Amino acid sequence: MLMEHVTFEVKRGSVFAILGGSGSGKSTLLRHLIGLERPQAGRIDIEGVGEPQHHEGAPPFGVLFQSGALFSSMTLAENLALPLTTWTSLRGPIVRELVQAKLELVGLGPFSEHLPGEISGGMKKRAGIARALMLEADLLFFDEPSAGLDPISAVELDQLILALSRDLGITVVIVTHELPSIFLVADDCIVLDKAAKGIVARGDPRKLRDESKIPFVHNFFTRSSPGASTDPGG
Amino acid sequence: MNVGVRVDRKLDHATIVLSGPFDLAHSTEVMHAVKSAEAHLHKCRSAEVSLAQVNRIDGSGAVLLARLLDRLAANGCRTDISEGGNPEAARVLALYRRHRTDHPSLPSRTMNPLTRLGAIAAQIPARANDAFDFTGRCAAALPKLAAAPRSVDWGSLPKLMQEIGADGLPVASAANLLVGIIIGFLGVSQLGRFGAIAFVPELVVVAHFRELGPLVTAIVVAGRSGAGLASEIATMKVSEEIDALRSMGFDPIRWLIVPRCLALALTLPLLTWIGDVMALAGGLAATLAITNMPARAYIEATLNHITAAHLFVGLVKTPFLALAIGLIACGQGLLTQGGAAAVGRRTTSAVVQSILGVIVISALFTFFFALLGI
Repeated sequence: MLMEHVTFEVKRGSVFAILGGSGSGKSTLLRHLIGLERPQAGRIDIEGVGEPQHHEGAPPFGVLFQSGALFSSMTLAENLALPLTTWTSLRGPIVRELVQAKLELVGLGPFSEHLPGEISGGMKKRAGIARALMLEADLLFFDEPSAGLDPISAVELDQLILALSRDLGITVVIVTHELPSIFLVADDCIVLDKAAKGIVARGDPRKLRDESKIPFVHNFFTRSSPGASTDPGG
Repeated sequence: MNVGVRVDRKLDHATIVLSGPFDLAHSTEVMHAVKSAEAHLHKCRSAEVSLAQVNRIDGSGAVLLARLLDRLAANGCRTDISEGGNPEAARVLALYRRHRTDHPSLPSRTMNPLTRLGAIAAQIPARANDAFDFTGRCAAALPKLAAAPRSVDWGSLPKLMQEIGADGLPVASAANLLVGIIIGFLGVSQLGRFGAIAFVPELVVVAHFRELGPLVTAIVVAGRSGAGLASEIATMKVSEEIDALRSMGFDPIRWLIVPRCLALALTLPLLTWIGDVMALAGGLAATLAITNMPARAYIEATLNHITAAHLFVGLVKTPFLALAIGLIACGQGLLTQGGAAAVGRRTTSAVVQSILGVIVISALFTFFFALLGI
């Protein structure tokens, strides 16, 4: 079993980060949270959704996958329109207007007729965010949103995530190990450890960085090797 | 509560009072309410928008309102937002107004049938160029191959032969068996009308050994292994594995294509030969099932008509058919650009072109042997 006794709560409207090293189970936990996998024991309960594994109909949350996961045969506009035309009765001009507004929101207004293969990795991720927003879910899950991006694109994406959280009141759950992103966007976090098979720390990431006495957590936030000094000042 | 957009007009000033839910679920109502309100805002110089009675707003509702305000501003109407104790609504509205960008609308990718036909025709020279370029590079790879035999992934050859030959044996055998049964039934029903059932074994041997055996086997291999090879190489192309090979100094044609074509050229004759035997069994079964011909007589007649010429005419073409399948499938894979959809398109093209190529090559061989009188 990869993890056991994993219990945490996410405050509505906050940006919550799931942190941990490679193989700690971050992505597995995310796949459980969005209902792609079932826990061997216990249950996941999302307020207003119930157990995501048993949810039917329009998805109550949006998901941004690591690669953006856009459909390569569809233009960006068609990718974004898909959830609307599948789960609502909206058609025609109103769909085009909503799609265009979401593309403009993520800075991709002029690219509506582009195919995913014709845009950069950062743009694909922003288009993925726009698609995740189409059904106006107030909960979004992001898997490694800034992985593989240059620092400027990563900061732009982080600022977009912040704007979505603050201006739209969306709750954002991010799986990441990018420290700059964590300190910029996350209000709260949990830290997973493979050896502990679960959560080893939780709280404000900035406080954990400065105050945590747990060697793994301190090393994680200061990017030092396990053998290095555990003195925050040194 | 219903969606409401009430306009109180006083000369060139208007007060717009919004009420109800402005969300995705009510977006059609919001759009209609906005449109009907807009009709009352013509030549308005200033407008105050009251959000006090908006009981829910999300991105979709905010977009439709934001675009109304954008249009009013474009027509010279100054708009002021009155939050009225609803700062969330004002914030969402401001977010979508802030991100409004004006840009030239791009032409849609949707094409009418005539444009599509033109686009397909325009692609023909480029496709022909790609095919010639690939064939040329394959031809150029052969002398280099002789000079540097280690530039070929010989280690993959047994596995490829297993996948193409041994794994494909059941379906190729089944197809040939059924074709043998069909020839047997057809021979009995047609030749039987002239009392010539004794010629059914010869018909099965000649038809299958010379023509149908290689053709049926090649079509099965093109559908099964051709599709597999094309999708494998196409996926390697879109996931940059081919670029990685090049960056490490490998020639993808020698490293990937040569062993695949070689595996096909070695296994297709074997599959065809086994397929011929299965077809003989099929013809025997069909004939015994609907006639009184003894099995021994059928087998003797069959053995009398299996000649080296029939076997040679059939088997000699199989390496060429195999090469056509391999080159078309691998070539289509290497030409892939884009994502998952491109992989699917190239795989389909590979199968269609391989089958067509196999039929054309078989026909050319038949014509050639007919000229030679073999």
